Amino acid sequence: MLNTANLSLDQAPPISIPFRFFLTAPLFGLAAAGMLLINGPDLFLTRWSPMTLGLTHMLTLGMLAMVMCGALLQMLPVLAGSPVPKVVAVGSICHLMITLGTVMLVFAFLSGSAIGDAVALGMLGGGIILFFVAVMIALWRVKSVSATVVAIRLAVVSLLITLLLGLLLGSGILGTMGFGDIASLVDVHLGWGIFGWIGLLLIGISYQVVPMFQVTPEYPSRLRRLLAPALFIGMLIWTALVLGEIFGALNEIVPRIWMFFLLSGFVIYAVVTVRLQLQRKRRIPDITMMFWRTGMLFVPVCALVWVAGNLSPGIGYNPHYNLLLGVSLLLGVGVSVINGMLYKIVPFLSWFHLQNRQMGLMCMTVKVPNMKEFISDKAARLQFRLFLLALLSALLATLRPDWFAHLAGLFFFASNALLLKNLLVAMLRYRETNRALLAYAESVRVPDGDVD
Amino acid sequence: MEIQLDVSMLEPCEPLEQTLEAIKQLNPGDYLRVLHRREPHLLYPLLEKSGFLWRCRDDSSGGYEIFIWKTDDVAAALDVDSATS
Repeated sequence: MLNTANLSLDQAPPISIPFRFFLTAPLFGLAAAGMLLINGPDLFLTRWSPMTLGLTHMLTLGMLAMVMCGALLQMLPVLAGSPVPKVVAVGSICHLMITLGTVMLVFAFLSGSAIGDAVALGMLGGGIILFFVAVMIALWRVKSVSATVVAIRLAVVSLLITLLLGLLLGSGILGTMGFGDIASLVDVHLGWGIFGWIGLLLIGISYQVVPMFQVTPEYPSRLRRLLAPALFIGMLIWTALVLGEIFGALNEIVPRIWMFFLLSGFVIYAVVTVRLQLQRKRRIPDITMMFWRTGMLFVPVCALVWVAGNLSPGIGYNPHYNLLLGVSLLLGVGVSVINGMLYKIVPFLSWFHLQNRQMGLMCMTVKVPNMKEFISDKAARLQFRLFLLALLSALLATLRPDWFAHLAGLFFFASNALLLKNLLVAMLRYRETNRALLAYAESVRVPDGDVD
Repeated sequence: MEIQLDVSMLEPCEPLEQTLEAIKQLNPGDYLRVLHRREPHLLYPLLEKSGFLWRCRDDSSGGYEIFIWKTDDVAAALDVDSATS
């Protein structure tokens, strides 16, 4: 249940805070698409090439983490009944440091610059640790601890673990210590990032937004209570098993078998979500739900690709395998879901802020647009189709890079350009109506302290 | 008189929009009875700002009934009392 009994806009940050995160994400999407257009097949040679690592971090930090951090700062008062302390300062600094840190990290990957690498790690480290501390203070103060709050807490701890492992790997400390098995630690880093941070946050948020926005029944209560903690403990055990493998105490098969159980947990979540969506009480097609369904379908697809790669060495040692898994996870699951969420969060926040101001002013002469009027269904549907074409081309590019890599870049560019345009249209409508309401407030001389 | 509004099958923010629209149409003595599948916490501050009072109770099917009336409408308040007692 949303804990909004005492919700007030005084608790939530000004709308400009989440919006700056949301608008930055498609800019990184455009930059990633630009890389695909320029470098094409070279990005699909191996997951270890600096260029591919740069592209990967543009998606994970620039798009996924960007939207997730912005949404959490805005939604914690609603989801957990606990506002983030000093949210304007925290939001502004985190956004700046994560944005510049990601740009510098990509530059460092592409150029090999040690100074660039150090600056990137410093900025990302500072920005994410500040975010972690602020959000954890808010989560610590929560009075009624729901399954969503538990999952968000575990996701934010996973973000910190991902960051610390990233700093360890990026700083080169391990190399100077003579530590050789970097590849396994990179897997632990991305495991915490994808399964811990993205996966657990997605699960926790789903408990609220799927029944609320998609008008479905609630998730089963036992699944809500147990899944996220079980997966987090599972990740800790998996990490210990990988470390056991690195130091020669365990056979490499042991962490792989354990990972199979972890993946099963995520597949159960995806199957339950799709089942709930099929029981929707309202059968009107919805763009957010189509993005979400795409994301949920790719969870079992990723699990199947992983199983195939682990059962057949011929597949597992093929460089295409890791790239196929990466595209399926990052674009198929991650970008699908956050892109879909943006089409709910942005119109809802815009509408709610304006509605609140209109009611406060008792102004009936200025009409507040409804949610559908902020972003039209037609424009969102076209963007969804472009995204699907980008996803399909990127999947095919992992198998035939020379044929499909540029095409994937073209579609991903078009998809992000349209997403950016759709978000900008929503924000312009917000500003127009807000300006009209402020003009009304001025004309009747009603004091108004809630100016964004 | 009771005016009923069923928003239980609508997705956000249509329940809020329709409820806010419906309260504008209330005549003296009228109250609005909203059927909802969730408790609409976001509605309450907006009602407060518009000069309305509300009472929420669980219905028998796991949903909620929200009774809304104008703050100074004594007749509607009495009708809500008898409807919810």
